[in-house]
Amino acid sequence: MRRSKTTIGVAFAALAVLCAMFATTASAAPAWKFESKSLEGTEVVLGGAIESSMTIPGLTTKCENFLYKLTIENASGTGKGSLTEMPLYNCTTNSKYCTVEKIGAENLPWSSKLTTVSTTPYIIIEGVKVGILYEGEACVLGETFVTVTGSAGGSIDNSKETATFNSSTLSASGTELKALSQKIEWNGLFPTEAFQWHREQALSVS
Amino acid sequence: MQKHRRGALATALLAVALAALGLTATAQAKLTGEYTRFANCPYTNLEVKKCLLSTTTSGEVVLGKKKVPIEKPVVLQGGAGKQVEGIAPFFAASNGITLSKAPQNVPGGLLGIVPEASSPALVKALIKFFLENSLTGVNSTLELAKPASEIRVSENNLAAEEGVALKMPVMVHLENPFLGKSCYVGSSSSPIIWNLTTGKTAPPAPNTSISGKAGFIEFLEEGSVAFLKEAKLVDNAWSAPKATGCGGILSFLVSPIINAQLGTTTAGNNTAILNNTIYIAAAAAVRLNNEEHP
Repeated sequence: MRRSKTTIGVAFAALAVLCAMFATTASAAPAWKFESKSLEGTEVVLGGAIESSMTIPGLTTKCENFLYKLTIENASGTGKGSLTEMPLYNCTTNSKYCTVEKIGAENLPWSSKLTTVSTTPYIIIEGVKVGILYEGEACVLGETFVTVTGSAGGSIDNSKETATFNSSTLSASGTELKALSQKIEWNGLFPTEAFQWHREQALSVS
Repeated sequence: MQKHRRGALATALLAVALAALGLTATAQAKLTGEYTRFANCPYTNLEVKKCLLSTTTSGEVVLGKKKVPIEKPVVLQGGAGKQVEGIAPFFAASNGITLSKAPQNVPGGLLGIVPEASSPALVKALIKFFLENSLTGVNSTLELAKPASEIRVSENNLAAEEGVALKMPVMVHLENPFLGKSCYVGSSSSPIIWNLTTGKTAPPAPNTSISGKAGFIEFLEEGSVAFLKEAKLVDNAWSAPKATGCGGILSFLVSPIINAQLGTTTAGNNTAILNNTIYIAAAAAVRLNNEEHP
Protein backbone atom coordinates (compact mmCIF):
# COMPACT_ATOMS: atom_id res chain seq x y z
CA MET A 1 0.00 0.00 0.00
CA ARG A 2 2.80 2.37 1.00
CA ARG A 3 4.62 1.45 -2.23
CA SER A 4 1.52 2.34 -4.30
CA LYS A 5 1.36 5.82 -2.64
CA THR A 6 5.02 6.35 -3.41
CA THR A 7 4.44 5.36 -7.05
CA ILE A 8 1.57 7.85 -7.35
CA GLY A 9 3.75 10.54 -5.75
CA VAL A 10 6.54 9.91 -8.25
CA ALA A 11 4.03 10.00 -11.14
CA PHE A 12 2.67 13.38 -9.94
CA ALA A 13 6.17 14.74 -9.57
CA ALA A 14 7.02 13.62 -13.11
CA LEU A 15 3.81 15.22 -14.39
CA ALA A 16 4.65 18.44 -12.58
CA VAL A 17 8.11 18.46 -14.18
CA LEU A 18 6.58 17.84 -17.61
CA CYS A 19 4.07 20.68 -17.08
CA ALA A 20 6.87 23.00 -16.00
CA MET A 21 8.86 22.05 -19.11
CA PHE A 22 5.82 22.63 -21.30
CA ALA A 23 5.23 26.00 -19.67
CA THR A 24 8.86 26.98 -20.37
CA THR A 25 8.52 25.94 -23.99
CA ALA A 26 5.31 27.92 -24.37
CA SER A 27 6.85 31.05 -22.92
CA ALA A 28 9.86 30.54 -25.19
CA ALA A 29 7.77 31.53 -28.20
CA PRO A 30 6.61 35.11 -27.71
CA ALA A 31 4.74 37.12 -30.31
CA TRP A 32 4.83 40.66 -31.67
CA LYS A 33 2.07 42.79 -30.16
CA PHE A 34 0.75 46.30 -30.80
CA GLU A 35 -1.15 47.93 -27.99
CA SER A 36 -1.10 44.48 -26.34
CA LYS A 37 -2.84 42.83 -29.31
CA SER A 38 -1.07 40.21 -31.37
CA LEU A 39 0.10 41.44 -34.74
CA GLU A 40 -1.91 40.11 -37.65
CA GLY A 41 -0.34 40.21 -41.08
CA THR A 42 2.98 41.94 -41.45
CA GLU A 43 4.49 45.17 -40.23
CA VAL A 44 7.70 47.04 -40.97
CA VAL A 45 9.95 48.08 -38.14
CA LEU A 46 12.45 50.75 -39.14
CA GLY A 47 15.13 52.42 -37.13
CA GLY A 48 18.65 53.53 -36.61
CA ALA A 49 20.97 52.34 -33.89
CA ILE A 50 21.05 54.65 -30.90
CA GLU A 51 24.54 53.31 -30.38
CA SER A 52 26.53 50.48 -31.93
CA SER A 53 30.11 49.27 -31.95
CA MET A 54 31.98 46.13 -32.91
CA THR A 55 35.21 45.17 -31.19
CA ILE A 56 37.89 42.70 -32.14
CA PRO A 57 40.32 42.92 -29.20
CA GLY A 58 42.25 46.15 -29.69
CA LEU A 59 40.18 47.54 -32.57
CA THR A 60 36.69 49.01 -32.29
CA THR A 61 34.60 49.98 -35.30
CA LYS A 62 31.61 52.32 -34.95
CA CYS A 63 29.05 53.51 -37.46
CA GLU A 64 27.34 56.86 -37.01
CA ASN A 65 24.44 55.70 -39.17
CA PHE A 66 23.41 52.11 -38.58
CA LEU A 67 19.96 51.73 -40.04
CA TYR A 68 17.78 48.68 -40.39
CA LYS A 69 14.47 47.57 -41.88
CA LEU A 70 12.80 44.56 -40.35
CA THR A 71 9.58 43.04 -41.64
CA ILE A 72 7.80 41.26 -38.80
CA GLU A 73 4.91 38.81 -38.49
CA ASN A 74 3.54 36.17 -36.19
CA ALA A 75 3.56 32.68 -37.61
CA SER A 76 1.63 30.09 -35.60
CA GLY A 77 1.71 32.44 -32.61
CA THR A 78 5.45 32.97 -32.70
CA GLY A 79 7.09 36.22 -33.68
CA LYS A 80 9.37 36.09 -36.70
CA GLY A 81 11.03 38.61 -38.90
CA SER A 82 13.13 39.27 -41.93
CA LEU A 83 15.86 41.88 -41.89
CA THR A 84 15.80 43.16 -45.45
CA GLU A 85 17.98 46.26 -45.31
CA MET A 86 20.85 47.39 -43.14
CA PRO A 87 22.74 50.35 -44.59
CA LEU A 88 25.84 51.42 -42.67
CA TYR A 89 27.34 54.87 -43.11
CA ASN A 90 30.05 57.04 -41.59
CA CYS A 91 31.97 54.20 -40.01
CA THR A 92 35.22 54.83 -38.17
CA THR A 93 37.66 52.98 -35.92
CA ASN A 94 39.36 53.89 -32.67
CA SER A 95 42.73 53.58 -34.45
CA LYS A 96 44.45 56.60 -35.93
CA TYR A 97 45.83 54.29 -38.61
CA CYS A 98 42.70 52.42 -39.73
CA THR A 99 39.78 53.80 -41.69
CA VAL A 100 36.75 51.92 -42.97
CA GLU A 101 36.87 51.95 -46.75
CA LYS A 102 33.81 49.75 -47.35
CA ILE A 103 31.25 48.13 -45.10
CA GLY A 104 28.03 46.40 -45.98
CA ALA A 105 25.55 43.72 -45.02
CA GLU A 106 25.71 40.65 -47.24
CA ASN A 107 23.32 37.80 -48.00
CA LEU A 108 20.24 39.78 -47.01
CA PRO A 109 17.54 39.09 -45.95
CA TRP A 110 18.53 37.70 -42.58
CA SER A 111 15.86 35.80 -40.70
CA SER A 112 14.92 36.57 -37.15
CA LYS A 113 12.77 35.00 -34.47
CA LEU A 114 11.55 35.84 -31.00
CA THR A 115 12.31 33.73 -27.99
CA THR A 116 12.41 34.02 -24.22
CA VAL A 117 15.48 33.71 -22.08
CA SER A 118 14.81 33.60 -18.34
CA THR A 119 11.48 35.48 -18.72
CA THR A 120 13.10 38.22 -20.87
CA PRO A 121 11.98 38.43 -24.50
CA TYR A 122 14.78 38.18 -27.04
CA ILE A 123 15.12 38.68 -30.76
CA ILE A 124 17.57 36.38 -32.51
CA ILE A 125 19.02 37.55 -35.83
CA GLU A 126 20.37 34.65 -37.86
CA GLY A 127 22.70 34.41 -40.84
CA VAL A 128 24.46 37.69 -40.11
CA LYS A 129 27.15 38.54 -42.63
CA VAL A 130 28.87 41.92 -42.76
CA GLY A 131 31.92 42.62 -44.92
CA ILE A 132 34.41 45.29 -43.88
CA LEU A 133 37.38 46.55 -45.84
CA TYR A 134 39.80 48.54 -43.72
CA GLU A 135 42.27 50.96 -45.24
CA GLY A 136 45.32 52.82 -44.10
CA GLU A 137 48.96 52.32 -45.08
CA ALA A 138 49.93 51.95 -41.42
CA CYS A 139 46.89 49.84 -40.55
CA VAL A 140 47.76 46.17 -40.24
CA LEU A 141 44.34 45.28 -41.60
CA GLY A 142 44.85 47.50 -44.64
CA GLU A 143 43.71 45.62 -47.76
CA THR A 144 42.40 42.78 -45.58
CA PHE A 145 38.75 41.95 -46.04
CA VAL A 146 37.13 41.17 -42.71
CA THR A 147 33.83 39.30 -42.64
CA VAL A 148 31.62 39.25 -39.57
CA THR A 149 29.37 36.18 -39.49
CA GLY A 150 27.11 34.36 -37.07
CA SER A 151 23.92 35.07 -35.19
CA ALA A 152 23.10 37.66 -32.56
CA GLY A 153 20.57 37.64 -29.75
CA GLY A 154 19.34 40.89 -28.22
CA SER A 155 17.08 41.47 -25.25
CA ILE A 156 13.87 43.43 -25.83
CA ASP A 157 12.79 46.06 -23.34
CA ASN A 158 9.04 46.49 -23.80
CA SER A 159 8.87 49.61 -21.64
CA LYS A 160 11.53 51.45 -23.66
CA GLU A 161 10.73 49.75 -26.99
CA THR A 162 14.35 48.94 -27.61
CA ALA A 163 16.50 45.91 -28.37
CA THR A 164 19.91 45.64 -26.73
CA PHE A 165 22.76 43.55 -28.09
CA ASN A 166 25.93 43.03 -26.08
CA SER A 167 28.19 40.20 -24.92
CA SER A 168 25.74 39.29 -22.12
CA THR A 169 22.72 39.04 -24.42
CA LEU A 170 24.67 37.09 -27.04
CA SER A 171 25.91 34.70 -24.38
CA ALA A 172 22.46 34.34 -22.75
CA SER A 173 20.85 33.56 -26.09
CA GLY A 174 23.57 31.12 -27.12
CA THR A 175 24.56 33.20 -30.14
CA GLU A 176 27.90 34.54 -31.32
CA LEU A 177 29.43 36.71 -33.97
CA LYS A 178 32.83 35.89 -35.39
CA ALA A 179 35.40 37.80 -37.39
CA LEU A 180 38.94 36.75 -38.27
CA SER A 181 37.96 33.29 -36.99
CA GLN A 182 37.28 34.45 -33.46
CA LYS A 183 34.41 35.60 -31.31
CA ILE A 184 33.94 39.35 -31.35
CA GLU A 185 32.06 41.80 -29.20
CA TRP A 186 29.09 43.72 -30.53
CA ASN A 187 27.21 46.35 -28.60
CA GLY A 188 24.07 47.85 -30.04
CA LEU A 189 20.96 49.63 -28.84
CA PHE A 190 18.13 49.77 -31.37
CA PRO A 191 14.65 51.34 -31.19
CA THR A 192 11.76 49.05 -32.15
CA GLU A 193 9.21 51.25 -33.82
CA ALA A 194 6.62 50.37 -36.46
CA PHE A 195 6.46 52.47 -39.61
CA GLN A 196 3.66 50.97 -41.65
CA TRP A 197 0.21 50.01 -40.32
CA HIS A 198 0.90 50.49 -36.61
CA ARG A 199 2.70 53.84 -36.52
CA GLU A 200 2.92 55.39 -33.05
CA GLN A 201 1.44 52.24 -31.49
CA ALA A 202 3.33 50.67 -28.60
CA LEU A 203 5.21 47.61 -29.81
CA SER A 204 5.80 44.88 -27.28
CA VAL A 205 6.90 41.27 -27.25
CA SER A 206 5.35 38.72 -24.96
CA MET B 1 104.28 63.80 -46.73
CA GLN B 2 103.26 60.28 -47.71
CA LYS B 3 103.21 59.28 -44.04
CA HIS B 4 100.93 62.21 -43.27
CA ARG B 5 98.60 61.24 -46.15
CA ARG B 6 98.47 57.65 -44.93
CA GLY B 7 97.65 58.86 -41.43
CA ALA B 8 94.85 61.06 -42.74
CA LEU B 9 93.44 58.20 -44.81
CA ALA B 10 93.51 55.87 -41.81
CA THR B 11 91.75 58.48 -39.69
CA ALA B 12 89.12 58.98 -42.39
CA LEU B 13 88.54 55.24 -42.71
CA LEU B 14 88.28 54.93 -38.95
CA ALA B 15 85.79 57.79 -38.89
CA VAL B 16 83.71 56.12 -41.61
CA ALA B 17 83.83 52.81 -39.75
CA LEU B 18 82.79 54.47 -36.50
CA ALA B 19 80.03 56.38 -38.29
CA ALA B 20 78.79 53.16 -39.85
CA LEU B 21 78.82 51.47 -36.47
CA GLY B 22 77.04 54.46 -34.99
CA LEU B 23 74.41 54.41 -37.73
CA THR B 24 73.83 50.71 -37.24
CA ALA B 25 73.41 51.18 -33.53
CA THR B 26 71.04 54.11 -34.08
CA ALA B 27 68.98 52.16 -36.61
CA GLN B 28 68.51 49.33 -34.14
CA ALA B 29 67.75 51.65 -31.25
CA LYS B 30 65.03 53.60 -33.04
CA LEU B 31 62.10 51.21 -32.84
CA THR B 32 60.02 51.30 -29.70
CA GLY B 33 57.18 49.35 -28.07
CA GLU B 34 55.81 46.42 -30.07
CA TYR B 35 57.71 47.65 -33.12
CA THR B 36 61.02 46.48 -31.61
CA ARG B 37 60.02 42.96 -32.66
CA PHE B 38 60.40 44.01 -36.27
CA ALA B 39 64.02 45.20 -36.11
CA ASN B 40 64.95 42.58 -38.72
CA CYS B 41 62.07 43.39 -41.05
CA PRO B 42 63.27 44.99 -44.29
CA TYR B 43 60.80 47.84 -43.71
CA THR B 44 63.04 50.43 -45.36
CA ASN B 45 62.20 48.72 -48.67
CA LEU B 46 59.04 50.48 -49.81
CA GLU B 47 57.86 47.33 -51.57
CA VAL B 48 57.46 45.74 -48.14
CA LYS B 49 53.90 46.28 -46.94
CA LYS B 50 53.86 44.06 -43.85
CA CYS B 51 56.45 42.86 -41.37
CA LEU B 52 56.16 39.33 -40.08
CA LEU B 53 57.59 37.59 -37.04
CA SER B 54 56.36 34.05 -36.50
CA THR B 55 57.73 31.85 -33.76
CA THR B 56 56.99 28.14 -33.83
CA THR B 57 57.00 27.20 -30.17
CA SER B 58 55.93 23.56 -30.45
CA GLY B 59 54.55 20.99 -32.85
CA GLU B 60 56.01 18.13 -34.80
CA VAL B 61 57.38 17.14 -38.16
CA VAL B 62 56.65 13.60 -39.27
CA LEU B 63 58.85 12.40 -42.11
CA GLY B 64 57.83 8.93 -43.16
CA LYS B 65 58.21 6.77 -40.06
CA LYS B 66 60.16 9.36 -38.05
CA LYS B 67 58.47 11.88 -35.82
CA VAL B 68 60.49 14.84 -34.59
CA PRO B 69 58.86 17.00 -31.94
CA ILE B 70 59.63 20.72 -32.12
CA GLU B 71 61.18 21.51 -28.77
CA LYS B 72 63.31 24.53 -29.63
CA PRO B 73 61.63 27.67 -31.03
CA VAL B 74 62.00 28.29 -34.75
CA VAL B 75 61.64 31.89 -35.97
CA LEU B 76 60.47 32.97 -39.40
CA GLN B 77 60.87 36.71 -39.97
CA GLY B 78 60.89 39.13 -42.85
CA GLY B 79 58.55 41.25 -44.88
CA ALA B 80 55.54 40.66 -47.10
CA GLY B 81 54.84 42.62 -50.25
CA LYS B 82 51.64 43.79 -51.88
CA GLN B 83 49.07 41.07 -52.17
CA VAL B 84 48.08 39.96 -55.65
CA GLU B 85 44.88 37.93 -55.58
CA GLY B 86 45.34 37.52 -51.83
CA ILE B 87 48.91 36.21 -52.00
CA ALA B 88 51.96 38.27 -51.10
CA PRO B 89 55.61 37.73 -51.98
CA PHE B 90 58.12 37.49 -49.14
CA PHE B 91 61.23 39.55 -48.45
CA ALA B 92 64.21 38.18 -46.52
CA ALA B 93 64.98 39.40 -43.01
CA SER B 94 67.40 42.33 -43.00
CA ASN B 95 69.87 40.42 -40.81
CA GLY B 96 69.88 37.53 -43.28
CA ILE B 97 68.28 35.10 -40.83
CA THR B 98 64.84 34.62 -42.34
CA LEU B 99 64.39 31.14 -40.86
CA SER B 100 66.36 30.51 -37.69
CA LYS B 101 68.29 27.26 -37.49
CA ALA B 102 67.07 25.46 -34.40
CA PRO B 103 68.39 21.88 -34.20
CA GLN B 104 65.67 19.57 -32.92
CA ASN B 105 66.53 16.31 -31.23
CA VAL B 106 65.61 13.21 -33.24
CA PRO B 107 64.18 10.67 -30.78
CA GLY B 108 66.32 7.54 -30.72
CA GLY B 109 69.36 9.37 -32.02
CA LEU B 110 71.70 7.56 -34.37
CA LEU B 111 70.35 4.19 -33.34
CA GLY B 112 66.90 5.40 -34.22
CA ILE B 113 67.81 6.17 -37.79
CA VAL B 114 70.73 3.81 -38.52
CA PRO B 115 69.95 0.31 -37.25
CA GLU B 116 73.20 -1.40 -36.39
CA ALA B 117 71.93 -4.93 -36.92
CA SER B 118 71.07 -4.59 -40.60
CA SER B 119 74.04 -2.41 -41.57
CA PRO B 120 77.10 -3.47 -43.59
CA ALA B 121 80.18 -4.40 -41.55
CA LEU B 122 81.97 -1.11 -42.21
CA VAL B 123 78.95 0.93 -41.18
CA LYS B 124 78.50 -1.30 -38.12
CA ALA B 125 82.10 -0.65 -37.07
CA LEU B 126 81.70 3.09 -37.55
CA ILE B 127 78.42 3.17 -35.63
CA LYS B 128 80.09 1.23 -32.84
CA PHE B 129 82.90 3.76 -32.81
CA PHE B 130 80.49 6.69 -32.67
CA LEU B 131 78.30 5.03 -30.06
CA GLU B 132 81.30 4.34 -27.89
CA ASN B 133 82.16 8.00 -28.15
CA SER B 134 78.70 8.99 -26.98
CA LEU B 135 78.07 10.76 -30.25
CA THR B 136 74.75 9.10 -30.79
CA GLY B 137 72.54 12.17 -30.76
CA VAL B 138 71.09 13.26 -34.08
CA ASN B 139 69.64 16.68 -34.70
CA SER B 140 67.20 17.65 -37.37
CA THR B 141 67.30 21.28 -38.50
CA LEU B 142 64.78 22.89 -40.79
CA GLU B 143 66.34 25.17 -43.39
CA LEU B 144 65.05 27.22 -46.27
CA ALA B 145 65.73 25.33 -49.49
CA LYS B 146 65.35 28.37 -51.71
CA PRO B 147 65.74 32.13 -51.31
CA ALA B 148 63.22 33.83 -49.01
CA SER B 149 61.68 35.45 -52.09
CA GLU B 150 60.20 32.01 -52.89
CA ILE B 151 58.06 32.10 -49.73
CA ARG B 152 54.43 33.17 -50.17
CA VAL B 153 52.02 34.39 -47.51
CA SER B 154 48.30 34.99 -47.48
CA GLU B 155 46.99 36.99 -44.55
CA ASN B 156 43.42 36.53 -45.76
CA ASN B 157 43.76 32.75 -45.75
CA LEU B 158 45.56 32.83 -42.41
CA ALA B 159 42.67 34.72 -40.83
CA ALA B 160 39.89 32.93 -42.72
CA GLU B 161 41.16 29.43 -41.86
CA GLU B 162 41.05 28.31 -45.47
CA GLY B 163 43.52 27.84 -48.29
CA VAL B 164 47.28 28.15 -48.06
CA ALA B 165 48.44 30.70 -45.49
CA LEU B 166 52.18 30.09 -45.83
CA LYS B 167 54.01 28.40 -48.67
CA MET B 168 57.60 27.59 -47.82
CA PRO B 169 60.32 25.59 -49.64
CA VAL B 170 62.32 23.76 -46.98
CA MET B 171 64.84 20.99 -46.46
CA VAL B 172 65.72 18.96 -43.39
CA HIS B 173 69.35 18.82 -42.31
CA LEU B 174 70.20 15.66 -40.33
CA GLU B 175 73.22 16.39 -38.21
CA ASN B 176 75.61 13.99 -36.50
CA PRO B 177 79.39 13.46 -36.82
CA PHE B 178 78.73 10.07 -38.40
CA LEU B 179 76.22 11.44 -40.89
CA GLY B 180 78.57 14.21 -41.95
CA LYS B 181 77.71 17.82 -42.75
CA SER B 182 75.71 17.24 -45.90
CA CYS B 183 72.97 14.83 -44.89
CA TYR B 184 69.76 16.43 -46.17
CA VAL B 185 66.22 15.49 -47.02
CA GLY B 186 65.36 18.00 -49.70
CA SER B 187 67.57 20.43 -51.56
CA SER B 188 67.41 23.69 -53.44
CA SER B 189 66.79 21.76 -56.66
CA SER B 190 64.35 19.34 -55.05
CA PRO B 191 62.80 21.13 -52.06
CA ILE B 192 60.08 20.01 -49.72
CA ILE B 193 57.18 22.40 -50.35
CA TRP B 194 55.04 23.09 -47.32
CA ASN B 195 51.62 24.53 -48.07
CA LEU B 196 50.66 25.39 -44.52
CA THR B 197 47.07 26.20 -43.66
CA THR B 198 45.10 27.27 -40.62
CA GLY B 199 42.13 25.43 -42.15
CA LYS B 200 41.58 21.79 -43.04
CA THR B 201 44.02 19.72 -45.07
CA ALA B 202 43.06 17.29 -47.83
CA PRO B 203 45.96 14.83 -47.96
CA PRO B 204 46.21 11.64 -49.96
CA ALA B 205 46.00 8.37 -47.99
CA PRO B 206 47.19 7.05 -45.63
CA ASN B 207 47.06 10.49 -43.96
CA THR B 208 43.66 11.89 -43.13
CA SER B 209 42.49 15.49 -42.89
CA ILE B 210 43.77 17.53 -40.00
CA SER B 211 42.86 21.07 -38.98
CA GLY B 212 44.85 24.13 -38.11
CA LYS B 213 43.47 27.29 -36.55
CA ALA B 214 44.06 31.00 -36.79
CA GLY B 215 44.09 31.33 -33.02
CA PHE B 216 43.20 34.50 -31.18
CA ILE B 217 43.93 37.89 -32.62
CA GLU B 218 44.61 41.08 -30.76
CA PHE B 219 45.46 44.45 -32.24
CA LEU B 220 48.31 46.41 -30.71
CA GLU B 221 49.84 49.84 -31.31
CA GLU B 222 46.53 51.35 -32.43
CA GLY B 223 45.75 48.73 -35.01
CA SER B 224 49.15 48.79 -36.71
CA VAL B 225 50.27 45.47 -35.20
CA ALA B 226 48.32 42.22 -35.04
CA PHE B 227 49.22 39.55 -32.53
CA LEU B 228 47.96 36.04 -33.18
CA LYS B 229 48.40 33.58 -30.38
CA GLU B 230 47.81 29.84 -30.55
CA ALA B 231 47.90 29.88 -34.34
CA LYS B 232 48.27 26.35 -35.67
CA LEU B 233 49.63 25.87 -39.19
CA VAL B 234 49.41 22.40 -40.66
CA ASP B 235 50.19 20.47 -43.83
CA ASN B 236 50.11 16.71 -44.22
CA ALA B 237 49.95 16.47 -47.98
CA TRP B 238 53.60 17.22 -48.77
CA SER B 239 56.11 14.86 -50.26
CA ALA B 240 59.81 14.62 -49.50
CA PRO B 241 62.65 13.41 -51.70
CA LYS B 242 65.16 10.79 -50.55
CA ALA B 243 67.90 11.69 -48.08
CA THR B 244 71.20 12.42 -49.76
CA GLY B 245 74.79 13.10 -48.72
CA CYS B 246 74.59 11.12 -45.47
CA GLY B 247 77.74 9.49 -44.12
CA GLY B 248 80.27 11.58 -46.03
CA ILE B 249 82.32 9.37 -48.33
CA LEU B 250 80.14 6.44 -47.25
CA SER B 251 77.05 8.19 -48.52
CA PHE B 252 76.45 5.44 -51.06
CA LEU B 253 76.06 3.07 -48.09
CA VAL B 254 74.55 5.27 -45.39
CA SER B 255 72.00 7.31 -47.35
CA PRO B 256 70.08 4.18 -48.48
CA ILE B 257 70.03 2.92 -44.88
CA ILE B 258 68.57 6.20 -43.67
CA ASN B 259 66.02 6.20 -46.47
CA ALA B 260 65.03 2.66 -45.54
CA GLN B 261 64.56 3.79 -41.95
CA LEU B 262 62.53 6.85 -42.93
CA GLY B 263 60.27 4.64 -45.00
CA THR B 264 57.90 6.01 -47.61
CA THR B 265 58.04 9.78 -47.75
CA THR B 266 55.69 10.34 -50.66
CA ALA B 267 52.68 12.64 -50.20
CA GLY B 268 50.32 11.35 -47.55
CA ASN B 269 53.07 9.97 -45.33
CA ASN B 270 54.41 13.20 -43.88
CA THR B 271 53.03 15.82 -41.54
CA ALA B 272 53.99 19.26 -40.31
CA ILE B 273 52.19 20.74 -37.32
CA LEU B 274 53.48 24.12 -36.25
CA ASN B 275 52.10 25.91 -33.20
CA ASN B 276 52.92 29.57 -33.53
CA THR B 277 52.72 33.01 -32.07
CA ILE B 278 52.63 35.48 -34.93
CA TYR B 279 53.18 39.21 -34.98
CA ILE B 280 52.31 41.15 -38.13
CA ALA B 281 52.86 44.88 -38.51
CA ALA B 282 52.10 47.37 -41.21
CA ALA B 283 55.56 48.22 -42.57
CA ALA B 284 54.54 51.86 -42.91
CA ALA B 285 53.86 52.00 -39.16
CA VAL B 286 57.27 50.49 -38.42
CA ARG B 287 58.88 53.07 -40.73
CA LEU B 288 56.92 55.83 -39.01
CA ASN B 289 58.01 54.61 -35.58
CA ASN B 290 61.57 54.53 -36.81
CA GLU B 291 61.34 58.12 -38.06
CA GLU B 292 59.61 59.35 -34.90
CA HIS B 293 62.38 58.03 -32.66
CA PRO B 294 65.66 59.25 -34.07
